[in-house]
Amino acid sequence: MSVNPDAVDAVFFNELRRHYSDDEIVELGVFIGFNLGYHTFFGTLKFYPMFSPDGRLVSQAESEKLYGAAPVSLGKAEAAE
Amino acid sequence: MTHIAPLPKDAIVDPELRGLIAEAETLGVPDDLFPRILARAPEQAVPLMRALIMSHAQGNVDHGLKEIMRILLARFANDKYFASLRSAKARAMGLTEQRIDDGCFAYEDDAKGFSAAEKCALRYADLMFLDAGQLDKPFYDEMKKHWSEAQIMELGAFIAFHYGMQMFMRSLGAVPPA
Repeated sequence: MSVNPDAVDAVFFNELRRHYSDDEIVELGVFIGFNLGYHTFFGTLKFYPMFSPDGRLVSQAESEKLYGAAPVSLGKAEAAE
Repeated sequence: MTHIAPLPKDAIVDPELRGLIAEAETLGVPDDLFPRILARAPEQAVPLMRALIMSHAQGNVDHGLKEIMRILLARFANDKYFASLRSAKARAMGLTEQRIDDGCFAYEDDAKGFSAAEKCALRYADLMFLDAGQLDKPFYDEMKKHWSEAQIMELGAFIAFHYGMQMFMRSLGAVPPA
């Protein structure tokens, strides 16, 4: 839906229907649309996790130092330790 | 015909959802197709419809400007369904098709008469999914010259939500109402 929306065609929906009901496909579709929009928006705001990997509440400035110049997942931060 | 069939209107019994559908039909955005598809996921349908209407027709940013932004996004998303819908409220406020086209394709042109604040908001919608990297600190600093932080959040959330739902409707192959 995000990278190649033209590929989400009738053939694709027929494949989806082999695994999910129409109701579940709607639930998945709006979930994807919602996240597609908001993750892009949030990415422009450049905010960082409120908590350090050890669970301390930290300022955005400290969080940026902890997590790097670009937002990364906690999993990546832990792997880097 | 969409890839997922909408529910018949009389199959929707939730009074809250029926009320939101009536509200949307009065506004003109969306018509009943979107909520009748959404109704297949009843737990999501009410909050999503409420957010769609509230973010578009309420708040502290001019509704006419948000209507132009919504159509700009729908055209970029290549979503013919939402791109074809028009807000009756915005039309009553004087918004014309010419103004919508100017806002979508030529808002930076001083001759079109958009204010610096309106240009900034339209740029926000234009760049969000075209090149989000340009929505950097200098961009937000410029936005803050014209809009409060609350208004910027209102605009950003509006852009994110409507674009997401437009991409969903595009994926379903939704077409403009006859």
